[in-house]
Amino acid sequence: MDEMIIAILRSSTPLIYVTLAGVLAQRTGIWNLGLEGLMIIGACATVLGIAITGSFLQGFLLAVGLCVAASVLLWFVIERLKANQIIAGLGLTGLGLGGTAFAVEAYMGSQVAVTVSSGAPKAGPVLGAFGVLSIFVLLMPVVVLGLWVLLKCTRFGLQLAACGEHAFAARSVGADPSRIRLIALAAGGVLCAAGGAELATGSLQLFAQNMTAGRGFMAFAAVIFGAGHPVWATFAALFFAVAGVLGIRVQLTFGDNIPHGLLQTLPYLATILGVWISGKLRGGAKAATLTEEQSHV
Amino acid sequence: MTRQSSVPALSCSAVTVRYGPVTAIAGLSIEFAPDLIHAVVGQNGAGKTTFARVAAGLVRPEHGQITVNGRPLPTGSVPKARAAGVELVHQSFALPPSFTIAEAMEFGSTRPGGIFSARSLARRWKSHLRDLDISADPNSRIRDLPIEIQQGVEIARALVTESKLLILDEPTAVLSPSGIELLFDRIRRLKSMGVTVVLILHKIREVLAVADTVTVLRGGKHVAGPLPCTELESASLARLIIGDGTTVREGGDIKALTGAGAPESFERTAVPVTETPARTTAPLLEIRTVSTAPDSEGPPLSQIDVSLQPGEILGVAGVEGNGQRTLVRAIAGHADLISGTILFSGADVTRENLTERRRQGLRIIPFERNTEGLSLTSSLWENWSSGALLQGSLLRYVRPAQMRASCDTTLSRWDVLYHDCRQSAGSLSGGNAQKLILAREIDDEARLIVAAQPGRGLDVGATAFVWDALRSARDRGCGVLLISSDLDELFDISDRVLVMLSGRSVGEYSAPYDLQAIGAAMTGANQ
Repeated sequence: MDEMIIAILRSSTPLIYVTLAGVLAQRTGIWNLGLEGLMIIGACATVLGIAITGSFLQGFLLAVGLCVAASVLLWFVIERLKANQIIAGLGLTGLGLGGTAFAVEAYMGSQVAVTVSSGAPKAGPVLGAFGVLSIFVLLMPVVVLGLWVLLKCTRFGLQLAACGEHAFAARSVGADPSRIRLIALAAGGVLCAAGGAELATGSLQLFAQNMTAGRGFMAFAAVIFGAGHPVWATFAALFFAVAGVLGIRVQLTFGDNIPHGLLQTLPYLATILGVWISGKLRGGAKAATLTEEQSHV
Repeated sequence: MTRQSSVPALSCSAVTVRYGPVTAIAGLSIEFAPDLIHAVVGQNGAGKTTFARVAAGLVRPEHGQITVNGRPLPTGSVPKARAAGVELVHQSFALPPSFTIAEAMEFGSTRPGGIFSARSLARRWKSHLRDLDISADPNSRIRDLPIEIQQGVEIARALVTESKLLILDEPTAVLSPSGIELLFDRIRRLKSMGVTVVLILHKIREVLAVADTVTVLRGGKHVAGPLPCTELESASLARLIIGDGTTVREGGDIKALTGAGAPESFERTAVPVTETPARTTAPLLEIRTVSTAPDSEGPPLSQIDVSLQPGEILGVAGVEGNGQRTLVRAIAGHADLISGTILFSGADVTRENLTERRRQGLRIIPFERNTEGLSLTSSLWENWSSGALLQGSLLRYVRPAQMRASCDTTLSRWDVLYHDCRQSAGSLSGGNAQKLILAREIDDEARLIVAAQPGRGLDVGATAFVWDALRSARDRGCGVLLISSDLDELFDISDRVLVMLSGRSVGEYSAPYDLQAIGAAMTGANQ
């Protein structure tokens, strides 16, 4: 049982961090489809950073720096250059996937997986069997709770929500929607760096090309399923991760009797199911635009 | 707080605002004395809203200066305007619909907030809301509130900083007559609390009912004022608002266009129509006990009956958001009907789609001119010909040159001002854009015309043009269903008026109209 819980925590934690980044963006009115790209930048930068400096902390700081920079780039393209946010987000994902492959090639000379000798710090023997979990897993509930308090129980959270729901209202009380979006995206960059770092160094110590395998999009689906609420979205991400772990369990139990590929699709099927359910519950998601503000002016 | 009455509460000098090529206000200078209720009036497009937004810091003017209580206010900054005590209540309220009342207060507050819970937030704002006579539960959501209370909440939101200068942008546009009374009481109370109020209005009747002074804007320029209201009569004010350049064809329209009709003139005996006289022809439109499934766009229709004869303008009155949009969608075949039937000239069209209904003569002038009525990025001739093109088969051969030619002929017949029919529809002014829609929708085959808020956002001349177009369509036998939240408009041109409340029809009236009775029906006070 412990083993199962550990597996679920390990596979859900990266997803949850990235989901929270998506929640922050979503509440300010940005549909962040760059999550996949940000996550893989986080993973790659952490591993390459460790490989270069030998220190996890420096690797992680590199990841944070790059993810925040990429998020600010996304903000600039959306807010200042007035680009369509869906296209801009997908562009960032492309940049992340291609850029990390390029970085690995440049550093290693070939497209191999990069392995390093140390990973994220672990909880240690105090927690017994759970000691193998990384600090990211331990911090995750704190971050979820903290974000919930920030979004639901502070004036900043209200202004952030107003930005997404009625940007003109936010402007009318003197808030600057553009600035709030910048803060939300930059904070999301930190969370994506954490998600990527946990994915690459939480239990493994390697970076392989395309290792996020759509988790960024899954996180985005969790944001939609969770209606942009930090706690509900976390549970949605957890649900997707559980589906993935169950798939692996079933595979271990039944071996080749069930097609391998089918089981691997389980988390993705869960994602589709989740989005379908949320569509049934709340009606189809409205198309994202930042032009709402203009229509009120 | 005492202030010297010689220092104006708000003054702006030589303020100019341009939006691209359009000059919204040009060299505007006004001074408002403290502790009074000031009205600012003018037609649509006179620059009233822009003036309000400049004062509130939402729009940065190209030139000009704003001073509040004698102190210059840096322009284009909402926080600085709010710190100086200037607050603006918007025409279409600026409150996120999912917020609770308490959250709506908190998100605009400037005092220290800290971490709160829903309960502590409700407690924090309870006395503020009570002081302003808002009795709704602080934890109820904005989207669930009736429009009068939403406006009260918006005013309370504007007063969280103990503002001394409150600007309200067309606050009466969305209200029922009794809601307007309530608002005016609220404003008079604010005045007695030492708040200077600037009210942007466009009905003379309302100006004379509540304001101490009135200022008239026209075409972005200051025309007159502030004039004391006691020395003013409505006819001269109407002249100031309309100006000499505009020709309004019928004398009777002027009162309706400027809202100058005195309340007494409506107070004649009018009884709800109980039975319609027997007619020989089948009604053009008959809606029989139609109910629709609930959706996100306002209340569903519930057992509504509407009957429209040829050669008749039937007005649909009601506070916005009482199912008018669903009614139009039901007539267009875009609503999810759960019961009832819709007949055109006696033939059941309940299951027909919009194309078929249009083939039978249905034409719609939609609520949203710029999103539903036109494709702003497409050319004039494309917008104009879409009406006919959508009737034909998909692979039909079309001749653009021919369409452009007939588009040119039609548009000049409708007095649309344009350079080339290849210019985009977005380049037209509001009035010309509406004329383009009229040119498309009131064609020779039109029989049933649904006009949804056709005069909204138009200046006096354009509104009068629209009314004349609807009247002449009626005179040649079309039926017109006119949906409007402007009672002056409805009373002026409708043959009958039906009142909608919460998706139901709650009364039918014929001329002469009784403002009190219709107002009561709009809020359900008569039940």
